[in-house]
Amino acid sequence: MQNVNLINSLSGLLILTSLLVIEAKTLRQSAIQYGIQSFVLVLIFLALASTMEGAESLYYWAASAFLTKAVLVPIILARAEKSMEGQPAATVRPWASIALAGASLVVSFLVVNSLQLRIAVEFKPALAVSIAHFFFGQLCILTQKNMLKQVLGFCLMENGSHLTLALLAYNAPELVEVGIATDAVFGVIIMVILLVQINKSLHTLDVIELKSLKG
Amino acid sequence: MYTTALIWLLLTPFILSLAAFAVRWAGSVGVWMAEALHLVSVTVTLVLTIVVVQGVLAQGTVTAANDWFHVDALAAVFLLIIGVVGFLVGLYSIGYIRNDLQVGELKEPQVSLYYGLFELFLFTMLLVVTANNIIIMWVAVEATTLGSAFLVGIYGHRASLEAAWKYVMICTVGVAFGLYGTVLVYSDAVHFLTAPGTAVLWTEIVKNAASLDPTLLKMAFVFVLIGFGTKAGIFPMHAWLPDAHSEAPSPVSAMLSGVLLNCALFVVLRFSIILDYGVGPELPRVIFLVFGALSVIAASLFMFAQKDVKRLLAYSSVENIGLILLGFGIGGQVGILAALLQAVNHSIVKSLMFCTTGNILMKYHTRQLDKIRGMLQAVPLTSLALMLGALALVGVPPLNIFISKFTIIGAGFQSGHIWLMIFILLALAVIFAAFMKALSSSVFGEMPEGMDKGEVMIWGFAPLAALGLLIVALGVYLPPQLNALLNQATTIALAGQPAMNVDVMNIVKLLVP
Repeated sequence: MQNVNLINSLSGLLILTSLLVIEAKTLRQSAIQYGIQSFVLVLIFLALASTMEGAESLYYWAASAFLTKAVLVPIILARAEKSMEGQPAATVRPWASIALAGASLVVSFLVVNSLQLRIAVEFKPALAVSIAHFFFGQLCILTQKNMLKQVLGFCLMENGSHLTLALLAYNAPELVEVGIATDAVFGVIIMVILLVQINKSLHTLDVIELKSLKG
Repeated sequence: MYTTALIWLLLTPFILSLAAFAVRWAGSVGVWMAEALHLVSVTVTLVLTIVVVQGVLAQGTVTAANDWFHVDALAAVFLLIIGVVGFLVGLYSIGYIRNDLQVGELKEPQVSLYYGLFELFLFTMLLVVTANNIIIMWVAVEATTLGSAFLVGIYGHRASLEAAWKYVMICTVGVAFGLYGTVLVYSDAVHFLTAPGTAVLWTEIVKNAASLDPTLLKMAFVFVLIGFGTKAGIFPMHAWLPDAHSEAPSPVSAMLSGVLLNCALFVVLRFSIILDYGVGPELPRVIFLVFGALSVIAASLFMFAQKDVKRLLAYSSVENIGLILLGFGIGGQVGILAALLQAVNHSIVKSLMFCTTGNILMKYHTRQLDKIRGMLQAVPLTSLALMLGALALVGVPPLNIFISKFTIIGAGFQSGHIWLMIFILLALAVIFAAFMKALSSSVFGEMPEGMDKGEVMIWGFAPLAALGLLIVALGVYLPPQLNALLNQATTIALAGQPAMNVDVMNIVKLLVP
């Protein structure tokens, strides 16, 4: 029971850290905040692994998530930011971000409450947070002008969906989780490489400038 | 033997992709080596595809790695599309990329990169249709985006980078919804399929679909449709498609349109079968009809306004995916059989068309329809291929798409969707006009001043000729093996509803009461 409360509370921390990711003054700070958030996710994985029966594969996932999400991705993003120019100003005010996060949470709680789940029933709050996190990540992609922030939105989205996965499929075979984690890291790497190329050619990170293709 | 063939079918393009990346630094020798590796890869893929399909015909299914890979007749149809189109477009690639190298569009290391990525893309698509593990299926679809993103942006121009960015962003975000659908199904299945190893297997979930929670299953399907539907280019999730298709090198456009869209649709189909067994076919049918009709109608409007030949073809892909969905939505043996046939036919025609636009680009250096004139004089063979493909696309008999398109519409009328079919026919008339407008201006008329007559790449015409031949041949004759395969695939997609063995070429007769 203690672990259940711990997992639900740690999940709440995820939403808080995602607000910090989006609202940080510089991208470097955002990347660090993302690293901290991923560390919280790793702790949730570990707590789940020790609580649930047959969830040993989550230990491996926690280890790989620590390496990739808490260390590698923040380093990649912070380094990428250094080499880029033309960062647009923030488009979404802090109160709007908080409102979006709140709205995501309310909708997700409503959705999860209506679900007749047969597993992970005790983790409904955590599940709602994970889905809210997923939607919040998407909203970031839609509302941010800065393409690196959009990549961070993608990362937040992934952290949300990975938490859902850990809660609902904690006993899935290791290879499945390895596959999903690999896709996520490659996703970020490919986006960053593309961004570096776009930045070299367009000298901006403002997504509004991407307007040569229409119709 | 068949199991070994299946394993090597997956391993060959993957290993050769890594080898092609490795020869990147070998300069002009590297180009030759990458071409050779590419040739081996597409040829071996084709041969092994045929072996695996034969295995399916002989024994019903071919499986490997504890059932994690499972090829039944339905998968075999899509596997065949990957094998055949991959081979022919792969051959066309060699000449096309050589030309890009010659004119300075690409540099030597980029050629090896291109072939490495092409093989990787091929591998990920093979993984999508052979995977029986639903989560690996998702991983593979996501990997197709990652494998092909750099192919879309390989030229490094402003527009191609922009297209690649939109492609990656829209598809990864979209496909993430697919993960939710997949996980919801798994989490419910694991409740009664107590071994987690079996609860991820599509074959096991289908067998026990009746025990799944109906509400959860319906919700999962909506997620799946948004997720994989984005990748399949279904309207209104198609936003990435015209950009990626038009900015990618032409052979990549052919693979995206002819093969990738089908792979994504295949996953949607796999989930709709689970839903059919679990809660009945009503929900997926309605969803397929609505999104299919929307795709056809919206595409027709975009096509009429199009001035870029590759974007015209890209929207035509949205239209054809819509038609395939309509077939599945109409359902029944005739609807599903026609939809599968349409998938096969469209993949062949669209690969020919995109390769043809490759020839046009090499000659005219533009995709703008108002600047492409006098093709019949300048590039007679290419213009013939273009005309053949365009006539096939609008459904002119006796070319291959005629049968499948006609049957889908006929089945729609027969099943009582009269108003819907009238709207679809109107949209098809607009599409017909759009193609005729594009053709008449580009094929006929005077060629631009100062342009030399003759094809840029005459020897590279063989794959186009083969595709053209298939378009004509499949309009009048279907090999018995393909006939059997399509029938078996339809039986699987019918999810337990009765089906009889029919002659696909005479499928229209089934429409007569």
